[in-house]
Amino acid sequence: MRNTFIQTLLENAKRDPNIIFITGDLGFGVIEEFQKQLPNQFINAGVSEQAMMGMAAGIASTGKRVFVYSIGNFPTLRCLEQIRNDVCLMNNPVVIVSVGAGYSYGSQGYTHHALEDIAVMRALPNMNVYIPADAVESKSLTNYLCKNKSPSYLRLGKTGEPILTNNTIEPLNNRIVDIKSGDDGTILFVGPIGKRALAAAEILDQMNLNVSVASVPFATDIDIAYLKYAAAKGPIVTVEEHSTRGGFGSIILESLHQLNVPYRLKIIASSQQNLSEIGSQDYLQVTNGLDEKSIVDAFNSFW
Amino acid sequence: MNLGKQDTGVVAQSAADLAKSARIEILKMTSSAKAAHVASSLSVIDLLAVLYSGIANITPDNRAKTDRDIVILSKGHAAAAIYSVLALKKFFDINWLSNYCGDGAQLGGHVTSTGVPGVELSTGSLGHGLPYGLGIAISRKLTKSPGKVFVIMSDGECDEGTTWESALIANHYNLDNLIVIIDRNKIQSLDFTESTIALEPFMDKWKSFGWNVVEMDGHDHLSLAEELSKKSSIPKCIVANTIKGKGVDFMENTVLWHYRSPNDEELSRAISQVENN
Repeated sequence: MRNTFIQTLLENAKRDPNIIFITGDLGFGVIEEFQKQLPNQFINAGVSEQAMMGMAAGIASTGKRVFVYSIGNFPTLRCLEQIRNDVCLMNNPVVIVSVGAGYSYGSQGYTHHALEDIAVMRALPNMNVYIPADAVESKSLTNYLCKNKSPSYLRLGKTGEPILTNNTIEPLNNRIVDIKSGDDGTILFVGPIGKRALAAAEILDQMNLNVSVASVPFATDIDIAYLKYAAAKGPIVTVEEHSTRGGFGSIILESLHQLNVPYRLKIIASSQQNLSEIGSQDYLQVTNGLDEKSIVDAFNSFW
Repeated sequence: MNLGKQDTGVVAQSAADLAKSARIEILKMTSSAKAAHVASSLSVIDLLAVLYSGIANITPDNRAKTDRDIVILSKGHAAAAIYSVLALKKFFDINWLSNYCGDGAQLGGHVTSTGVPGVELSTGSLGHGLPYGLGIAISRKLTKSPGKVFVIMSDGECDEGTTWESALIANHYNLDNLIVIIDRNKIQSLDFTESTIALEPFMDKWKSFGWNVVEMDGHDHLSLAEELSKKSSIPKCIVANTIKGKGVDFMENTVLWHYRSPNDEELSRAISQVENN
């Protein structure tokens, strides 16, 4: 996913000299080709996220489209006020790119778990959050963001994620497209955790519950027509590799509430019971309630 | 701009006139709004007056040009200072000053760029102006655009980590188009800087980060005009020694006037001091 991002960005940046790539001294084995081919559009700001983000905003204020790249919480929480004041308030076209969503860096410990970023970034004015499920969405979102002129947050996984989607509509928009369709309910997810949503849907199929499954890459710009349709059809379960507090599930909950329609909703998100727990991404997903069983149980609780 | 001796004399004279008028506006604004930071504004005003009297290439007419100079007031609490200068230089209607900090006012207690012609960046949280200015300076290097970037900071602001992150980066990218001017009035929110978190040896710190560091009197218009006209081959830091509350004797060099605003009697005493100076 991160390789697709950087390759897509490089292709765009070759055509558009106004695209500038800044790294916070991260991306070993990923960013070198960009640096080699476009040295005048590449800046390593060192390990200084706050200055980096202010600097990115300043560069963007001169008419550039700036992509700031780092991992985990470094380009979001570490420099939150720079994002709030220098990027969002000034409405500068900066795209913040964070690699390692959720438990991607599971074994590296809590400092490297990105579990509060959706909630924090979506709270900021003028900021939109984009979350690809796989390399297909990573590519189409990167193309979209190269032309978009607003503050944006692109939440990437790491590498080796399975391809889940095949939506290649151009130009990309916020329309939610089913990966799998069913009449009994809907699973909405963001990010590579979608593989567990699809696996849960297969288990539900065997129980004669046929649910739709869809990725929501425009995570803060919800396709209201789809949501209305889903609410009328049956229960909705949201799945995200993020804290339960204020993330994607909250976005859907708030959207349904504003629609003023009857709905049934369960939010599957990380329980964060033990912050210091170490393990692989798969392991931590299971221990924090982000597995197929939790999704299936959530549906069963409605009947 | 590179100015000759005669030109810097002209700049200094108009800066002196501008600073005097601006001081009176600052006193009236902070008094009527019962707003804080009058002394911070009086300490920085001569620096702004020199920049806007012909040193920085920025006027109401060239604002849309991408190669003009940029001035960022990073110590956003001295809003009254930059607003009075911009109003006197006709960037916007001078009547805006009379409603400073009022309900629905164009101008608030910290610097806002939205809807205020001449302001580049909204500031108020310290440590934001230098990274932002650094970004503009780098972008201009990338596109070989000539304009300079002036960032005016407070000395207390140098407690912020972004100051030193930026100092490293500016040195690394050899940003000779970036000029930092520090309003070294030696007082911050609760106490003197040296009693709070000591900055000295202040010049040595900047020098060790690879900057061209110049110490000078931050109220001497002619010396400032001369120094600011000189080219530097590396990023430059001017440590401008100033007096907090400069120009009004009972406000000078006291922590109290960081927050207090002048009442009617104090206002008329202060204005007459400025007028007769």
